Amino acid sequence: MAEKYDLQEREVWDGNFAASQALRQAQVDVVAAYPITPSTPIVENYGSYVANGYIDGEFVMVESEHGAMSGCVGASAAGGRVATATSSQGFALMTEVLYQASGMRLPIVLTVVNRALASPLNVRGDHSDMYLGRDSGWIQLDCFNAQEAYDMTLCAFKIGENHDVRLPVMVHQDGFITSHTAQNVYPLRDEVAYGFVGEFKPVDDMLDFSRPVTYGAQTEEDWHFEHKARQHKALMDSRSIIDDVLAQFKEISGREYKRVESYMMEDAEVAIVALGTTVETCIVAARELRKEEGIKAGVVAPRCFRPFPFDKIRDALGNVKAIACLDRSSPGGAMGALFNEVSAAIYTTDARPLVTNFVYGLGGRDFSIAEAKRIFKEQKAHADAGKITTDIQQFSGLRGPHLGFFQTKRS
Amino acid sequence: MQHLKLLANDNRGLNELENGTGLVGWNEVTQGSILPSFEGDATNIAHLKSEERTYSGYNSYTATVASWRVLKPVYNRDICIDCQNCWVWCPDSSILSRDKQMLGIDYDHCKGCSVCVEVCPTNPKSLIMFSEQTLLEDALTQWPEKKKKEDK
Amino acid sequence: MAATSIKNLKEFSTSNDRFEGAHTLCPGCAHSMIVRELMNCTDDNLVIATNTGCLEVSTAVYPFTSWDTSWIHIGFENAATAAAGAEAMYKARKRKGSLKDNDAPVKFVAFGGDGSTYDIGFQWLSGAVERGHDFTYICLDNENYANTGGQRSSATPIGATTTTAQAGSHSYGKKEKKKDMIAIMAAHGAPYVAQLAPNKWKSMAKGFQKALETEGPCFINTVSACCTEWKFDPKDTIGITDLATDSLIFPIYEIIDGHELNILYRPKNVIKVEDYLAAQGRYKHLFKPEYKHIIELIQKDVDDKWNMLQRREEARI
Repeated sequence: MAEKYDLQEREVWDGNFAASQALRQAQVDVVAAYPITPSTPIVENYGSYVANGYIDGEFVMVESEHGAMSGCVGASAAGGRVATATSSQGFALMTEVLYQASGMRLPIVLTVVNRALASPLNVRGDHSDMYLGRDSGWIQLDCFNAQEAYDMTLCAFKIGENHDVRLPVMVHQDGFITSHTAQNVYPLRDEVAYGFVGEFKPVDDMLDFSRPVTYGAQTEEDWHFEHKARQHKALMDSRSIIDDVLAQFKEISGREYKRVESYMMEDAEVAIVALGTTVETCIVAARELRKEEGIKAGVVAPRCFRPFPFDKIRDALGNVKAIACLDRSSPGGAMGALFNEVSAAIYTTDARPLVTNFVYGLGGRDFSIAEAKRIFKEQKAHADAGKITTDIQQFSGLRGPHLGFFQTKRS
Repeated sequence: MQHLKLLANDNRGLNELENGTGLVGWNEVTQGSILPSFEGDATNIAHLKSEERTYSGYNSYTATVASWRVLKPVYNRDICIDCQNCWVWCPDSSILSRDKQMLGIDYDHCKGCSVCVEVCPTNPKSLIMFSEQTLLEDALTQWPEKKKKEDK
Repeated sequence: MAATSIKNLKEFSTSNDRFEGAHTLCPGCAHSMIVRELMNCTDDNLVIATNTGCLEVSTAVYPFTSWDTSWIHIGFENAATAAAGAEAMYKARKRKGSLKDNDAPVKFVAFGGDGSTYDIGFQWLSGAVERGHDFTYICLDNENYANTGGQRSSATPIGATTTTAQAGSHSYGKKEKKKDMIAIMAAHGAPYVAQLAPNKWKSMAKGFQKALETEGPCFINTVSACCTEWKFDPKDTIGITDLATDSLIFPIYEIIDGHELNILYRPKNVIKVEDYLAAQGRYKHLFKPEYKHIIELIQKDVDDKWNMLQRREEARI
């Protein structure tokens, strides 16, 4: 039986501590992990809870991140609650196993503290690792601050472990800005949190020997396609369950979350779509611009990056005239992923607003309120002109000459 | 002479490997491509003989590789000393032994590798390879005589 | 089958198979002899993890499984870690009492070929053994990447031809000697390490049982003669394995607690390695006059190794 952990109604936690407290309250059975900056404290804290009797689980400190996710897969198939944490290079190293975890429909929770990918090596926050995971078949939830890192981690267990979902879930927070910045966090009481997450109910349990199961079969051209289709369907269908879980979470916490968060969008003429801590920066910028210059600016942020909220993005952006999509990951010879996906969603609306792409903040480069305002104003200029007046893709906050690509093509 | 379906459970060797029980659509494949080996409770499986088990349609027990064979081993009970060499070294779990007695071949799962014939210590051998088409009763009438030492 | 009941082969033959036929391993493959014997030598519940390789691609091809127990395959390298993760979960759930049957004994086993054991999965195996998980790792050593068509691994012996270490007019095949995994695993301090062979079925069954009964990580290297890539007739799998153990190319021995070495099989008549090599197509080129020295080198290495093993055994250190 676990020792009682004393919690205040309001704690001052950084994002890492907040996530680790969610792991404690969910009473995770096995954490298999490997250290990497900036996510290390999450698993260090879990280890400390085990060492001090605050949780009755197994902490397996393996020899690599690939091993960490491999251990998580073995543990999850053995019918219990499993979580781990990683960032950046570690995320890249475990990528092979991420696909296997989702293909085997194992509800592992991975708390990802977003960090840039080398080369060149960089420990600061950008979204390269989050983007690397976007086709891996995991549900990806995105947090903008420490409170959300705590809340979404609890929700992640309840979503992934739902028997109609049976999928692994990543909970993303920004390296250092969220993970290492102490903020006010209002935790739930242990029994409320555990009551919400609920007991783990295994399916296809390797330790249930009354029903032996084979995990990880080979499927060739006669079968593989059907399996991947079924997995995709499960991911798409998880949308309504995510909505349900977020609604239930509001009931116990009073905090409301949606698959797509919208701020000041009721009457917005221009919008920024962003992920992570940038969302809060853009909210402040929009609020100030409305006051200072009367620009009807709003912010839209996918809380749920996967399954991509095609439906809700369309609803949120259907009435604006110009949109800037902000991608905090080097797009590697393409438009940013958020730009592409948001554009595809709104292309299916009648409004078809003007959309441009900003690549920003790579390797932890600061993204300021002033820069957010500048981007909003540029959108306002597009809206007023009725066309895109700049390059469609631009780099924001970069030293050196202007870097941008592609203009609107008109016949 | 052994019955071809000696000690066979009802569903032994029913299916071709490629399709299993049928190529079903995406909505009918198992979640996560996970395969249950048995129907119903299999708690004591280590204590049950194959004919007492309830294999699921996903168990390769229900599939056949008989078409791989060019030659098949034929078993001659009259010579066998029940040493069980063939049982321990058969790579295809195809030697049917019960109560320390060798009984025959599982022709649904035998691939015709001849390991059983090679490891058989009797003289003449109690297992000999014949062409797949040879009838078991005909094979038994063609059994060789005991070899003299100098012939070896 | 319970640990005490395997007195002779007749007794052993009353055990019930948990590894089913109609897998798609090559006819005459030694892998299935070894796997089946492991599963038949215990009645305990088994959780088996398997690395990518011949065994995996032949025993769990959708929609069929040949495994009558819990089985998992993740990737080429990580069966040891999959077993370790499952073992950790077993401990956690046993303490909490959340297992379906909290008292039934469970054993954790990982299988890998030599490619996944000696090469790509080396780190995962080393980590799992260092951490002391209670599991048995069994390497099915056929001395090449047979599943991908016979490439060299670090278990391929010197002088063998493979598709990526080819014998030719300017080459005698693989130039490097085989990695000594048994010594490496013993150096981890694993409580039980052994090299076993399916032709010596009894010492193999006993070794398997010892490993399963030993608490902590155990490693067993098994000789798995590969008719397809060693180039011999499938019927001769056991005969070739006899040549391997009787020429002392594959000595059968165990190391307990990292130091106590016991030789488990002493051939009455030790044969020349030449006889073993001559029986396989992969060594055919060594019988050209210009490569005679390689055969001599192999013989010398085998003699030296055997002397070393005997001296280690005598020394009891």
